[in-house]
Amino acid sequence: MSAPAIELRGLRREFRVRQGMFAAPKQVIAVGDVSFEVPAGSVLGVVGESGCGKSTLARLILGLLEPTAGEVLVDGQRLSGMDRRARARLIQPVFQDPFASLNPKRRIRDIVAMPLIAQGDIGGAERDRRVAEALERVGLSREQGMRFPAQLSGGQRQRVAIARALVLRPRIVVCDEPTSALDVSVQAQILNLLAELRRDLGLTYLFISHNLAVVEHIASEVAVMYLGRIVERAGSEALFAAPRHPYTRALLASVLTPEPGLGVPDVGLGDVMPDPANIPPGCRFHPRCPVAIPRCATETPKVIADGRGLVECHLA
Amino acid sequence: MTALLEMRDLRVTIGSTAAVRGATITVNKGETHCLVGESGCGKSISALSVMNLLPRGAKRETSALRFAGEEIGRYTERQMERLRGDRMAMIFQEPMTSLNPAYTVGSQMTEVLRRHRSTPRAQAVDRAAELLARVGITAPGLRLGQFPHQLSGGLRQRVMIAMALMCDPELLIADEPTTALDVTVQAQILRLLATLQQDLGLGILLITHDLGVVARIADRVSVMYAGEVVESAPTASLFATPEHPYTRGLLTCVPVPGKVKRDEPLGSIPGIVPRITPGFTGCGFRDRCPEAHAACTGAIPRQAVSAEHELLCTLKPGWGGKAAA
Repeated sequence: MSAPAIELRGLRREFRVRQGMFAAPKQVIAVGDVSFEVPAGSVLGVVGESGCGKSTLARLILGLLEPTAGEVLVDGQRLSGMDRRARARLIQPVFQDPFASLNPKRRIRDIVAMPLIAQGDIGGAERDRRVAEALERVGLSREQGMRFPAQLSGGQRQRVAIARALVLRPRIVVCDEPTSALDVSVQAQILNLLAELRRDLGLTYLFISHNLAVVEHIASEVAVMYLGRIVERAGSEALFAAPRHPYTRALLASVLTPEPGLGVPDVGLGDVMPDPANIPPGCRFHPRCPVAIPRCATETPKVIADGRGLVECHLA
Repeated sequence: MTALLEMRDLRVTIGSTAAVRGATITVNKGETHCLVGESGCGKSISALSVMNLLPRGAKRETSALRFAGEEIGRYTERQMERLRGDRMAMIFQEPMTSLNPAYTVGSQMTEVLRRHRSTPRAQAVDRAAELLARVGITAPGLRLGQFPHQLSGGLRQRVMIAMALMCDPELLIADEPTTALDVTVQAQILRLLATLQQDLGLGILLITHDLGVVARIADRVSVMYAGEVVESAPTASLFATPEHPYTRGLLTCVPVPGKVKRDEPLGSIPGIVPRITPGFTGCGFRDRCPEAHAACTGAIPRQAVSAEHELLCTLKPGWGGKAAA
């Protein structure tokens, strides 16, 4: 059995945030002691509301942020202390906004070539060949490679971002809301492309999204994040068929499928919003939980890990 | 049913782009009409046309623009100002950009009443607090004294809705009101809009790109593509028997849990939206349409699928049988 593509051991990241000139800085725990493994060749979907720490998690796994505690192993190797160039050959990102993540003053071809240039030892004909191959993989023509980002549509730009991520032939791609800025018809094109690339190239994805329907479509396993913790994790089918955490149930209930006549569901979460600078004692979800019992306010639930997955809830 | 808003044959050109090309949209009293389509299809421009809030340089033409029975197409800016915020109100996608960061929630909310109705301050404050409570905000008194940046995204959108209701409007235009929000908050806001509509008998024109939202909240749907309403129908009818190839394509693109197996491709619409210049003829979708044929470059007939269901296409209604799903 080979090493998992991604392994997190007690990963924690804190930020200090100043709120006002004289207030003492507050400590925000964006990611709180998260451990999990992503087997090679699988897709782990990470879902949660804004501010739950899912993007911080992505940045930690990409090595763009240093953890406060714990460690990240990628393909069995510690990420901290890994050479930047070696890291780039192993793991690559695709971000949400293809308008912000591409340099507007460079041609597509040169944007895609950038990771190769940064490697330093891939030049000339080999570089051109690899760029052409990456563009072709994502369905862009040679002629489109000569254009500038502003001359492409949103979907085409996201293809460029994917080509740039693939040009070093990494094993792992971290996708942070890769389709959230796109129209539905284009979203479908990009999701199909990502699925095809994973099959053909044997990639592993960490796929972050707030859209559960998208995650269900692409992920083999799903982790539900709430205020910095993974509160439930299970295989995709199991999670959607029998969610165990009340938060997962609320998230699933809020998915509006295109079925007329069902009306808008009552997700039952109340109007208390989660604040990462002010994590409640006991179960961090209890102020919004529709089924909380007195114990939830005082006692932190233990992780229950069994054959069905992992869940953090007193009632599970 | 009585039409609250009736906009016939709307045409908008912005520079050398024909943004809307003959769209007819009616909203009945107490009804939610959803305009659905992808970016650039002209749905926001159509909504802004109702309020006469188009960007500088845009030209608007209609054969009729009636609000509560009165033709408002030739209204002066002064007359429109009296309508906007009073009998017709609008909420936008990003409440942070439509709320003034330098004023408290209370002063922005009361301004609406003070301006339109010259209501005394104390009374306007009472009304604002009452409406904040109505949209589900706890501790309205506290919120009135706060600035927009002190509120979460969901709260800001609730404030926007409360502000829109200050003068008891008859028509509410909502442009992607939940797109910037988390799914959990989206459900809460949509529920709120649905209850408000029932209680107050509001007519709502809701613009969205999300077919899930449409299915759950709309009474009637108009699908827009490249500046035209290509299909319009009661919600149940549109989802049960979509006729336009674009509507059908759009429906297969939406991932629905349990519907398409993982790793099997979703339906998708190849190609991209064309840029339409004035003088363009034929169907704007023909380059991406799997059913396109020679007649699609000519005049496209507007056909009745049933009494309430309209189709702009050269295909005969019923061409593809039941829903593609």
